[in-house]
Amino acid sequence: MSIIQAIDLTKRFEDLVAVDHLNLSIDSGEIFGLLGPNGAGKTTTVLMLSTVIKPTSGTAVVGGHDVRKSPTDVRKLIGICFQEPKILWVSNPWDVLNWHAKVCGLSTQERKRRVKQVLEDVNMWDYRRKKVHGLSGGMKKRVEVAKVLIQRPKIAFIDEPTAQIDVVGKHKIWNMIRELRDEGSTIILATNELYEADRLSDRVGIMHKGKMLVCDTPKTLKDSIPGGDIIEIELEKEAGQSVLKELNDFEEVADLVSLKPNKLKVHLNRVEEIVPQIIEVFLRNGVPMRSIRMSEPSLDDVFVHYTGLTIEEAEQKSPSR
Amino acid sequence: MRKLLFVVERDLRTFLQFKVLIIMRGIWFAAQVAFFGLIASRMVVPELADIYFEYYIAGVVVMTLYSSSVFIGYDLFEEAEHGVFEYLLSLPISRKELVVGRSIGGGVRSFIFVGPIIAIALYVIGLANPVNLLIALSALFLFAFGVSGMSITIAVSLKSGDRFDILMGVVNALIVRLSTTMYPQSFVQRASGTYAIISQFNPVTFASDLFRWGAGIERYLTMNPMPLAAIVGLVIFFFTFTLIGVTIYERRLEGGGWQ
Repeated sequence: MSIIQAIDLTKRFEDLVAVDHLNLSIDSGEIFGLLGPNGAGKTTTVLMLSTVIKPTSGTAVVGGHDVRKSPTDVRKLIGICFQEPKILWVSNPWDVLNWHAKVCGLSTQERKRRVKQVLEDVNMWDYRRKKVHGLSGGMKKRVEVAKVLIQRPKIAFIDEPTAQIDVVGKHKIWNMIRELRDEGSTIILATNELYEADRLSDRVGIMHKGKMLVCDTPKTLKDSIPGGDIIEIELEKEAGQSVLKELNDFEEVADLVSLKPNKLKVHLNRVEEIVPQIIEVFLRNGVPMRSIRMSEPSLDDVFVHYTGLTIEEAEQKSPSR
Repeated sequence: MRKLLFVVERDLRTFLQFKVLIIMRGIWFAAQVAFFGLIASRMVVPELADIYFEYYIAGVVVMTLYSSSVFIGYDLFEEAEHGVFEYLLSLPISRKELVVGRSIGGGVRSFIFVGPIIAIALYVIGLANPVNLLIALSALFLFAFGVSGMSITIAVSLKSGDRFDILMGVVNALIVRLSTTMYPQSFVQRASGTYAIISQFNPVTFASDLFRWGAGIERYLTMNPMPLAAIVGLVIFFFTFTLIGVTIYERRLEGGGWQ
């Protein structure tokens, strides 16, 4: 069931179209990855869906409420972890989170319990009384993430949750985001980290220059690249032409290259389904295999496929606001 | 209503974090009274020196209340710089609750700050009629909320810290100088009839007159004997800027964010 529906959602900043007629449907209870380089329009989309800014045209229905007509009702359902931590420098983590929990309607007891729990979970308990200006970028980001984790909103917008956070912290936060989803929240994860989107998202929408290029599960997106999967096979001896022809006859095989007489590189789709049949071809023809190495395409490859650019190239070419 | 109170609470907590600023304002008040007030009161005829000194102290209280209520506008720029504005706009609080809460928060914290100053002023002036003082203080609350609302309105309209700073300097020069904060209405009248008309309809005049009335220094009031007009003026001032503040806040910020 769809909990967010964007209909021709558009935002202009003077000459720049930050989000261009975005149509999007996000199901309840899923982690939806909004993927794209900086400047793709992810954050602007999040800000419109969360009613912080108004669309120039089009609209969106969030949790059954139109963002234009009932913004206050929308805000009752959502929580945001902003890309840049939004904390005043004179505050401290405890005050920031305690006040946030209060505004979000948590009872005194529940508030204190959750704030303590989440501060411990994000390793910020020892720094709870430290002024924000004395915290590192990663620490501030943890406090920002903690807001959503304490609030447990029905719909959580999480913008680049692990930016500036170390590897151990990243995994911890990823687990906490999954737990949030398991507790019933729908999560919109805006990120330019392809690995993060791949690991966490049930579905991914790739944005580029304000437009939604493609949207599906990470697996379907990867499978949509013709010949995206690659296997390298090393043989005990050279494979004959009949064997190569038999391999080429599989409709999943897009390309077959002989790297050496006894080494083949095969570009194909749905590698996990076709590999057993390829092995069977070699065994049937009496060509023993020495090794086989498989690699799946990543979301980087998907991004390149749909935009013709790597995410780094796209960031360099993105118009600055 | 609860959420409105949370907004007020947040502004109070934030204000109390700026301890150095509070101390500096306190020093400013002390210097105004101990140096300027004492010296300037020696410029009037000797038999009126003490009366003018009391008159001036009451005026400085209102000036301090005005300047500390304006401070909320500077907070908005500080918050915009740190992106806190977007955060506040994303919370489950209506825009009306947010702007009214901030106006009230700005007013309440000014009052907390000015509280000890009022106590010092009353110690110097003396307290003639507690009931009058209570009425006057209630009206000064509205004055503080109104000034906070005005400051928020100007801040969100300009969206530029530098322009806000300059404009508030100009507003301060006009609104305080063309009032009875530092000199009685009869002297303003002598200087210019136009000045006198403006100063009569100035919220700072209303506030100054009310405080002097509350403190029992009635001799130089603009409106005698009961400053009902001043109370009505402050009520209008409060509602006008709260209403304008809510409207502009919604239109300017929700329309396209702070930037």
